[in-house]
Amino acid sequence: MGKRISRASSDTVWLAVLLMPALLLPVALILMPALCTFVNGCMQDVTFMPRRWAGLANYARLVQDPALFHSLRFTLLFIAVSVPLELACGLLLALLMQVQSPLRGMLRALVLIPWAIPAAIAGRVWELIYSYNWGPANYLVKLTGAPAVNWLGSSTGAFLAIVIADLWKTVPFVAIILLAGLSAIPEHLYRQAEVDGASFIRRFVAITLPLLRPVMIVAILFRTIDALRIFDLIYILTSGGPGGATSSLSLLGYTYFVGGDFGYGSAISTLIFLIALLVALLVVRIGRFGSSMR
Amino acid sequence: MNRYVPEFLLMFICAVAGIIAAGCSKKEASVVFAVGGAPAEIDFWEKTIQRFEEQSGIPVELLRQPTDTDQRRQNLVTALRASRSTPDLFLMDVAWIAQFAASEWLEPLAPFLEGSPLSINVFFEPVIRTAATYNGTLLALPVYVDAGLLYYRKDLLEKYGFAKPPELWDELVAMAHTIIRGESQEGNELTGFVWQGAQYEGLVCTFLEFAGSNGGGITIADSLPIVATDRNRSALAFMHGLVHSEKISPVNTGTDMKEEEVRFSFQKGAALFERNWPYAYSLHQADDSPVKGKTGIAVLPRFVGGTSAATLGGWHIGLSRFSRQKERAFALIAYLLSYEVQKASALEAGWNPGRTDIYGDSTIMERLPHLVTLHDVFSHAVSRPNVPWYSYLSSVLQRWLNAALTGTVPVDEALNKCEKELRVIVERYSTRKQH
Repeated sequence: MGKRISRASSDTVWLAVLLMPALLLPVALILMPALCTFVNGCMQDVTFMPRRWAGLANYARLVQDPALFHSLRFTLLFIAVSVPLELACGLLLALLMQVQSPLRGMLRALVLIPWAIPAAIAGRVWELIYSYNWGPANYLVKLTGAPAVNWLGSSTGAFLAIVIADLWKTVPFVAIILLAGLSAIPEHLYRQAEVDGASFIRRFVAITLPLLRPVMIVAILFRTIDALRIFDLIYILTSGGPGGATSSLSLLGYTYFVGGDFGYGSAISTLIFLIALLVALLVVRIGRFGSSMR
Repeated sequence: MNRYVPEFLLMFICAVAGIIAAGCSKKEASVVFAVGGAPAEIDFWEKTIQRFEEQSGIPVELLRQPTDTDQRRQNLVTALRASRSTPDLFLMDVAWIAQFAASEWLEPLAPFLEGSPLSINVFFEPVIRTAATYNGTLLALPVYVDAGLLYYRKDLLEKYGFAKPPELWDELVAMAHTIIRGESQEGNELTGFVWQGAQYEGLVCTFLEFAGSNGGGITIADSLPIVATDRNRSALAFMHGLVHSEKISPVNTGTDMKEEEVRFSFQKGAALFERNWPYAYSLHQADDSPVKGKTGIAVLPRFVGGTSAATLGGWHIGLSRFSRQKERAFALIAYLLSYEVQKASALEAGWNPGRTDIYGDSTIMERLPHLVTLHDVFSHAVSRPNVPWYSYLSSVLQRWLNAALTGTVPVDEALNKCEKELRVIVERYSTRKQH
């Protein structure tokens, strides 16, 4: 009896030892920085003021900051508009890439280009496209005889311009992930359905969508968290303008880091982290709920 | 396998020791000087540094920074916050000196000046007083100064019988309308007045000029409004009107117009008036420029009852408090601000020296006669608020000024909301609560 216990406990020790590297990595790379950022958010950490403990003062300030409220609203709206669009376009593109045709290989390679271009460069390219005087977008508008449009000049215009640039950049990523999911669906399911007389739409709704669900969850998760942190594209395209209409949370946090208030900047970062965590838990929960229903 | 372990260990130790030794010897040997990004700027520094090395025997290493002003600051903030001993010297935009000063990153320069041939009296007095000094301590010296200027098309003004550039903003508007109408009858499309209106620091600078020339500005005092005053309101309404009612400034003023967009527009001959920093002058007058010989400069116009205002810009040199070789680093400062180097910077790099005596130099007067106008402009320059938390004021201002300018929020509402947010910033960071 005693022997069995000691064996079991030595197994546990071994288990712990073997798991250690895998556990240490997330602790060192994710948990520690997040905790440090949270603690730093509890400091009055301003380069030009004495450093001292400030408790939750920075977090209390978050609640009253109209600029933060504005940025939060913009960021959430951006997620709500861009992620579903990315998913829809990505799915369409993935289905296209799966069609057997001589161009398939080329299409798959070409699609990846926008994803491979650094966001900062993509931002510059789109800045040129939207340029009032020299941009191809206005060139096309002028061809129809209409007056040039100042694309980034209104809140709605700038918002849509960023969504479109972001779509161009990230749809390929979603498409590639979904394509992997599509390839994993056994071919015989479709053939059986075909024998049973199921139409294309019926096959798509009854086989493709449900089996693609886990992969879609992954894509939604990645994209939502990425969209939550959006910075580079906006920094270059509008720097948050016009009139702060496109100031994302990350952009706001950045201004505080540059200006020397690391405490408040950390508080904003912690907020972004918490929202990301919440979104991740929510998406994963909804995903599981769906699969257990079947 | 195990046989090789000692060898690997030895190699590793040697490599680490080598890296540390290389790092140490380098730090001891050269003065590290961080400068900004445009290629022409770097070329000038490299040449100058080489001459200094030959004369003094002190090796200098140039640390090249990005061109973007915010990124340059972020770069320095990271190093200084970590109390790094390098860079020893760096260039600072006037707008950040107070932040660096209050963070205690800058070495006071007065003690070094005492034993040096360099005198504080050669520099522009308002620049030293309002920008280089913080709480009565001299912490920086101007390498080159900038201030907003009016550029105008001499040829077009003459063609329509205007003998002088406009002195009042209303005159500018009237001239623009006359000339645009006349030119469009001849089939030439022309924009009246281009200036910096995008949501960035440049917008705060232009606002200070419009507001300042109307007797307004930014006030940081307990009982007074910071920006929500009648004078500022009418100045901002005028700015909005230039784009939306007078329509002499382009529709994309509030979105695209930064220094270079403004300069391109004027330089290709598409604009009648331009507000820009002095750097644009030599580019407008370059051989390949369509407006070569047609460009005039003047102080910016004013409103009736106001006086012309030009926002002070430019770059100062600072000595890091964490430097381990301050004496040698200051020797480089003294060299860079010497008469010869400052004169060369005007002639070779097109900069406006921080020293006033250069403006009376015979070669300069002959080759760069426009510097005489600039000398007047710099003597009347207005500073941005000299507070460590200026960048937070600025980011709030940028947002609301741009909202008013683009018309997403009415002028009155924008200034009132701006005032409220600024008040929060002032209360959070103002010095009374610091110690």
